[in-house]
Amino acid sequence: MERINKFKLVLWIILGIALAAGITRFIFGLGATTNLSDTTPWGFWIGFDVMGGVALAAGGFVIAAFNYIFGRKEFHSISRAAILTAFLGYVAVVIGLLFDLGLPWNIWHMIIFWNPHSPLFEVGWCVMLYLTVLFLEFMPVVLERFPNLHLLSKIHKVLTKIRIPLVVLGIMLSTLHQSSLGSLFLTMPYRLHPLWWSPILPVIFFVSAICLGLMMVIVENMTSSYLYKREFEENILGKLSRIAVYLLLFYLVLRFGDIIIRGAGIFLFQASWGTYLFWLELALTVFIPLIIFIIPKLRKQPNFLYLGALSGVFGIVLNRLNVGGLTHLTNLTKSGSFYFPSWLELSISAGVVSLAMLAFFYFIENYSVWDEKPKDIDSEPLTVPKFNTNYVYLGPTKTANRVKFSFAFVIAFGLAFALISGKHIYSKGFDKTPVYKARGGDTLLIDGNRNGYGVMFPHKFHGDSIKIACGKCHHLNKPKDKNTQCFECHNDMYLTGDAFRHDWHTSAQGANLNCFECHKHNVNKGEEFRGNMAAITKLCLKCHNDLFPADVKVKILKTYVTLSYTDAMHKLCINCHKERLAADSLLRKSKPGLALCSNCHPKPAQYSAEHKLFTKQNVNKWVVVPPRLK
Amino acid sequence: MEDLLNFAKGPLFRFSFAVMLLGLLRLFVLSLINGFEAKKKAPDKSIPKGYVRKLTWGYLFPIRAFRTKPIYSLVSIIFHIGFILTPLLLYSHALLFSESIGFSWMGISLSKPVADNLALITIFAGIILLLLRLTSKITRSISRKQDYLWLLLLVVPFITGYVCSAVVTEPATYKTFLTIHVLSGDFIFIFMPFTKIAHCILLPLSQWVTARSWKFVPEAGENIEKILGKEGQKL
Amino acid sequence: MKAILTDITKCIGCTQCVSACKVINKLPPDKPREWQKNDGLSARNWTSVLFKDEYYVRKQCRHCIEPACAAACPVGALHKTDFGAVIYDSNKCLGCRYCMMACPYGIPRYDWDSAVPYVRKCIMCYENINNGVIDQPACTKACPTGATIFGEREDLLIEARKRIKNEPDKYLDTIYGEKEAGGTNVLYLTSKDCPLDFLFYYNNRIEKGVKLLGEPAFNQPYPPLTKKAMNSVPFAFVGMGAVMSGLYWIVKRRQKLEKENKGAEDGKNQ
Repeated sequence: MERINKFKLVLWIILGIALAAGITRFIFGLGATTNLSDTTPWGFWIGFDVMGGVALAAGGFVIAAFNYIFGRKEFHSISRAAILTAFLGYVAVVIGLLFDLGLPWNIWHMIIFWNPHSPLFEVGWCVMLYLTVLFLEFMPVVLERFPNLHLLSKIHKVLTKIRIPLVVLGIMLSTLHQSSLGSLFLTMPYRLHPLWWSPILPVIFFVSAICLGLMMVIVENMTSSYLYKREFEENILGKLSRIAVYLLLFYLVLRFGDIIIRGAGIFLFQASWGTYLFWLELALTVFIPLIIFIIPKLRKQPNFLYLGALSGVFGIVLNRLNVGGLTHLTNLTKSGSFYFPSWLELSISAGVVSLAMLAFFYFIENYSVWDEKPKDIDSEPLTVPKFNTNYVYLGPTKTANRVKFSFAFVIAFGLAFALISGKHIYSKGFDKTPVYKARGGDTLLIDGNRNGYGVMFPHKFHGDSIKIACGKCHHLNKPKDKNTQCFECHNDMYLTGDAFRHDWHTSAQGANLNCFECHKHNVNKGEEFRGNMAAITKLCLKCHNDLFPADVKVKILKTYVTLSYTDAMHKLCINCHKERLAADSLLRKSKPGLALCSNCHPKPAQYSAEHKLFTKQNVNKWVVVPPRLK
Repeated sequence: MEDLLNFAKGPLFRFSFAVMLLGLLRLFVLSLINGFEAKKKAPDKSIPKGYVRKLTWGYLFPIRAFRTKPIYSLVSIIFHIGFILTPLLLYSHALLFSESIGFSWMGISLSKPVADNLALITIFAGIILLLLRLTSKITRSISRKQDYLWLLLLVVPFITGYVCSAVVTEPATYKTFLTIHVLSGDFIFIFMPFTKIAHCILLPLSQWVTARSWKFVPEAGENIEKILGKEGQKL
Repeated sequence: MKAILTDITKCIGCTQCVSACKVINKLPPDKPREWQKNDGLSARNWTSVLFKDEYYVRKQCRHCIEPACAAACPVGALHKTDFGAVIYDSNKCLGCRYCMMACPYGIPRYDWDSAVPYVRKCIMCYENINNGVIDQPACTKACPTGATIFGEREDLLIEARKRIKNEPDKYLDTIYGEKEAGGTNVLYLTSKDCPLDFLFYYNNRIEKGVKLLGEPAFNQPYPPLTKKAMNSVPFAFVGMGAVMSGLYWIVKRRQKLEKENKGAEDGKNQ
């Protein structure tokens, strides 16, 4: 197999995995498939797909400017490929964004609902317009294949005529949104590390985008030339690298000047994660490429030229990732959970990139993007059919490729689909194992071992005909069933009204405790739970040993667990009612229903459905005060 | 055994189902492309509609074949009906789908005795088909080794399924049979797009492609002779 | 503009406000999830009570006078009402979550569970008050000790100053929310030994205490930070266009002249 075909095969496999991941993302939502959270609402998809993608596509407008505006006609031979890269890059950005948006079907809202003060609004509009411009800039390449069709050739003529205005418009739009991507982060100085946050972030983004554009053109040209085994344009790439030197120097001065003038220089030599990332980024972006591009001996060797440009590309993409999330406060300090993308996020990003690459190869092979077309792979079959029973002839290369790639795609999709387990990915919270609620139905599906496959159980028959009491199965079975979460029965344990917060203690961001770090294991068997809490539950003091100041005398109460508010309220009212009713014989006759629940809760069904505490007594007079310890 | 069963019901089932769906779709698209490419090369650009329709209907409803091979056609039709209806409309299968993939058709499922009898009929039809294939000299000569294998593989889930639903009650044996049932079902799904079982979707398309690409121009043979430089020679 | 004043010293941590909020907004019960912060707020909990140094601090949306979230939203789904509340229009939202990034208090939360997720935060019971269902937010109504009260912002500021003046030993001489982030519609009074700086995201910065050039001051609102950049957008757009067209013209002219010169030289040589 040729290089390019091997590469395409890998891309198709990635695409298959990404398709499975993408379907999962849209069915189960963002929380289940990504590692995004309330602390890090933006993640890899924004940092890499959107910000990195837009920056990577900067080559289009840079080369177009050199070619058409500055009159450097020598760049003409690479300008088509650069514009194609930019166009596909922006398409990839939009596709990536569709995965990231919570409501992607509302993306057109930006057209009708305006908020011109938002940088994101401006980015959105510029990307839309620039995508159109790039489309128009690239269209002639497609149209010139059909010189016989009258309408198309007419459009072609018009497009070539308005090319210069289009290029100028493209540059104007690029300037805006490349820099506005930086403006997005101006409003969050409290989030970004001070080495990155700067009032001139838009300028830094713009300059780095131009650098990246130049180096990306080098990388893209050399990679595709390698894959198609063609001579790459050594002269032009050398020139590009020399231009890149000046821009990189300017970027270096801008970056350090900004940091030093702002007074953030003290962060340059700290031993911290943020500082390491900064130096790594700068080494990749500026130092390695500069050394290679300045020394002519190194620059003239293709391997080193490629290495330098690639390092620059990685460096600036790392810059976007740093600004987009890696160096945010939530990632650098203990105040938030560390964000690292999940494999689903990574595979979807990879899939979007491979889709763009495959489209790039398609255009290269079918349209005259380069001065010379790569040789038609269909023309000379690499393998001649041999009539041998053990050998399957798949046809000429093009047909064979089609068969092979689609096969790899299907298998990769199947494997990824099998690995993404639908049931378990659904929620990362506490309701991992759903229990089929009985509620007195006729026939139930009982999922005994909770593997997702139920067995039919004639429920009503057992209750009505065989006369088995409900408690026989339900209450006795539950505690022995290890797969049932505690809150299935203790459904009040996460209510906010309790003085003891179970949710804080059990959640991953809180104390992250297992049930049995506080409760004894025999809770599981349901023994002596009521009335004997102290025997099976750990004292708060065992962990919170700083709860009481050292000089205080502590009297440990017998019942140290506070009542829930519901219980406390009930005790306050109904206990008294009961006592009075028991004591006063007159009252027993005049008001026999004094201690009934329905006095306060006239409609229990409505009560449970609407979470209304009291329908009768709106004013809540009673407050249970947790004892102050001082 | 338990683990194997869970694996077969869970990841392997999802894998095989995805491969089947996407694989059949792939075959469909590939043969469409092949058909259009054949059109490019074919001198006669018209679509051979009547021919394709005749062949396809001929395969789907072999009325004509009833005259020449009545037993074979009848058994084949019974086998196909049983093979499609029984697994699709079984309540347990609808349940499996609703649990692992999310959609189902529990409303239109077959009752248990009907399903059991249909399964038995399918098994017998399959065995008769196998015997016919073995006894007839013509079919034997055009059969490859795997052709027998696919037929057997198709019958295995029916046998094990019937055993599970109507014969065994002892849990260990039940589980063994169920595992074989699910595994063989998975393998059918996986092999479906890559073997001749794919005729379920390729039937009209393959006729179409063949009709297009094998339709020679008049005097094609003479042209070949000219190209080969063997004009006028005896064949 | 209406506002809420929360007096930390009066709060007893009964979380009645949380329950009332859940009832009036019909929020489903909450369960701890991996994607939640540990401050008790979530898409299903719009207010929460934190425990801090023996005091209870109620956390909710601050309804900033110049809200960073509303300035950030590309479609204007979040906007500031004259009533004082910052409200959310789920029909406009496209789910970019820029508001969550932009909020200096880290308040807006997301429906991560859902395949059709929305941004969720306190809206000061805006719709219910507008429709006349209630005359003040459910949380202030439910508060049994009057720790959190509702009223005109000016009145509440006067009330807060009065309290500080009456008990200068007890209260910290700051009204949180008076100027912070350009002023907010949720004000806090606190005790001397419990400063509330930790509630402000800005104060959790890594380089606490280092003042850097170009960064907003403590009391500065956030939207102007981007507005400055956004205001220069038209100039950059037109300027870049002018520069590029100018350059194109110059380059073209130079090439033309070169050609003519060459032609003339050729003519001379002949």
